[in-house]
Amino acid sequence: MSDEEDILRKITEKFGEGVLEARVLGRRRISILVPPDAYKNVVKYVAQDLGLEFLSCLSGVDYGDSLEVVAHLGFSTQILIKTRVPKDNPVIDSITDILPAANLYEREAHDLLGIIFRGHPNLGRVFLPEDWPKGIYPLRKDYAPEHPKPLRGGEVG
Amino acid sequence: MGLVEKLVKKCRARSPWILLFDTGACNACDIEIAACLTPRYDVERFGVLARGSPRHADILVVTGPVTRQARDRLIRIYEQMPEPKYVVAAGTCATSGGVYWGCYNTYPSLDSVIPVHAYVSGCPVKPEAILKAISILVEKIEKGEV
Amino acid sequence: MSFEISIGPQHPIHVEPLMLRLSVEGELIVDVDVDVSYIHRGIEKALEARPYIQGLYLVERICGICNAAHSLCYCLNVEQLLGKEAPPRAKYLRIVVEELSRIHSHLLWLGHYFHTLGFETLFMYFWRDRERIMDMLELITGNRVTTSYNTIGGVRRDLTPEAEQRLRRTLDYIEERMRYYEKVIDSEPTILARTQGVGILKPSDAVRLGVVGPHLRASGVKHDVRLDDPYSGHDEIPFNVITWDTCDCYARVKVRIREVYESVNIIRYALDHMPSGDYRLKIPPFFKAPPGESLSRVEAPRGELVHYSISDGGDRPYRYKVRTPTLANLLSVVEMLRSRDGYEVYIADVPAILGGIDPCICCSARVMVTDEARRRRTIMTLEDVIKISRERGAKRR
Repeated sequence: MSDEEDILRKITEKFGEGVLEARVLGRRRISILVPPDAYKNVVKYVAQDLGLEFLSCLSGVDYGDSLEVVAHLGFSTQILIKTRVPKDNPVIDSITDILPAANLYEREAHDLLGIIFRGHPNLGRVFLPEDWPKGIYPLRKDYAPEHPKPLRGGEVG
Repeated sequence: MGLVEKLVKKCRARSPWILLFDTGACNACDIEIAACLTPRYDVERFGVLARGSPRHADILVVTGPVTRQARDRLIRIYEQMPEPKYVVAAGTCATSGGVYWGCYNTYPSLDSVIPVHAYVSGCPVKPEAILKAISILVEKIEKGEV
Repeated sequence: MSFEISIGPQHPIHVEPLMLRLSVEGELIVDVDVDVSYIHRGIEKALEARPYIQGLYLVERICGICNAAHSLCYCLNVEQLLGKEAPPRAKYLRIVVEELSRIHSHLLWLGHYFHTLGFETLFMYFWRDRERIMDMLELITGNRVTTSYNTIGGVRRDLTPEAEQRLRRTLDYIEERMRYYEKVIDSEPTILARTQGVGILKPSDAVRLGVVGPHLRASGVKHDVRLDDPYSGHDEIPFNVITWDTCDCYARVKVRIREVYESVNIIRYALDHMPSGDYRLKIPPFFKAPPGESLSRVEAPRGELVHYSISDGGDRPYRYKVRTPTLANLLSVVEMLRSRDGYEVYIADVPAILGGIDPCICCSARVMVTDEARRRRTIMTLEDVIKISRERGAKRR
């Protein structure tokens, strides 16, 4: 059994019903989809028990009616731990207490996509300028950039 | 022009001091301009020095598309420079927005924010082009055309 | 009596504009707050609106210094989505340009770092020798910076035998010069005093904070994407991963110098064993990628670069995420700048520590010193801060 399949087997054995989807994407790439309440426990298991303690990236994706958070862990084999939250209530647990590296990545996902991370030490602006209007998340699909002038505090496109 | 005026103009044109300002560029233009200060291109032989403070500078060299965050600081720096001051837009991004045209956080071009006296295109701008631009600008300053 | 000093947002040592708020007592830094407001240009959003071939040129300009790494990562990503792989000759040519770009970036950083420490001569020497590498890049790819050498399916130009000859001569020259510089750095007491024992980052902290690249390897952790997750033929070329155990700024300097030697050897090996054949697959410029997702990682000069993309079957990406190495290294700056028992950090060490994570060059400097007790504010320029840092260096000697 390859490395990737071995890791998948361990996770599905431990969490059983908690893993909605698990597949091998390619060489050294695994992806699992978990419900939001199991997300933090899965990350903890993968980081502490499986030894993949390195958080490489944390992305946010807009899928129309839901927002997805993807945590990328691992030095060599990368595992993508995904979870989806509804767009009208995009709240998910923060993993900064397990992996402090998530600090800036979660702030980025919050700033650009509006995902709220429960338990994050300081969830504030990180990329957008201070006078960017609140509630407008540029990376969401329903935001169309004003062309050619950018938004200027107060004017909504 | 009186004799004193002519003398002052000639002196101003010698040894212009520049201030480099990056308003959100990818740094390619910045390192090419920094390469002008190094032994291969050596802009110091023309008396050009790169200063850290706007109050010491004659020429402001701006790279990068102007991002929202940088716009206010750019205007403040421009206002802090003593007269007479000149602005060079270095690189395609400063001239016309470059590859970031249409992005939600950048302005279309530098001259929509501050007045510009010289445009140098290139992505990134070559050090030889910067030297040429500065020498043409200096000639124009001496002749009083700017 | 404690002061608060704000450094930023524009600062010649930082990559993108960065605001640091330091709480200091006397000259000892006791607490740090990082306020990150980047040169945010909206690139990820723009990539969703452009076909894949146009996105290549935008991605290249995320960072001008590591442009070869970004374009390589993008091409690997899209090729994965399409289920194609570049021909063997293209893989080796990509490695040649990638390693040349690594050498130029390390020489740039070394020159700039010693400039902030006050060693102008080394700055001029490093940048003069760097010009030879830029000439090689221009000879092979057509441009000094933003080389646009990689394309989806391979590379855009082939390497001629004349270019190969000149490249070998340049590599010999660079290796000889680097040996001389390493000797200078190891025997110069000011440099050793300013960098040894400064900016300590323990290996366990480094992994926890998600640090990547030479910064991580300078804390003794042996991780390099070329070794752990090889791409584009790196598994066929033998090389050493350089680590250093002292975890300080001196380690960061040594790791980068030694990596230049490794890059020179990698390029020589690639030239000696260059496969023949096509250097490019025939892929039409405008295409629809099949639905799916793909993750590509590349060892950029500053660290691990990650590109993650999701395709919905159209001719443009549905989502394209870029995680640059400096974003990963930024949190460690907070850790390194905080004084704790037995480990003291002074204001004068700030340029050395910040510069140690290898950010790109920036622009004007502004440091505001707020004296809360006396309700007085002084504005210091970067030159004043560097002067303090150089005076401190002289005192330590």
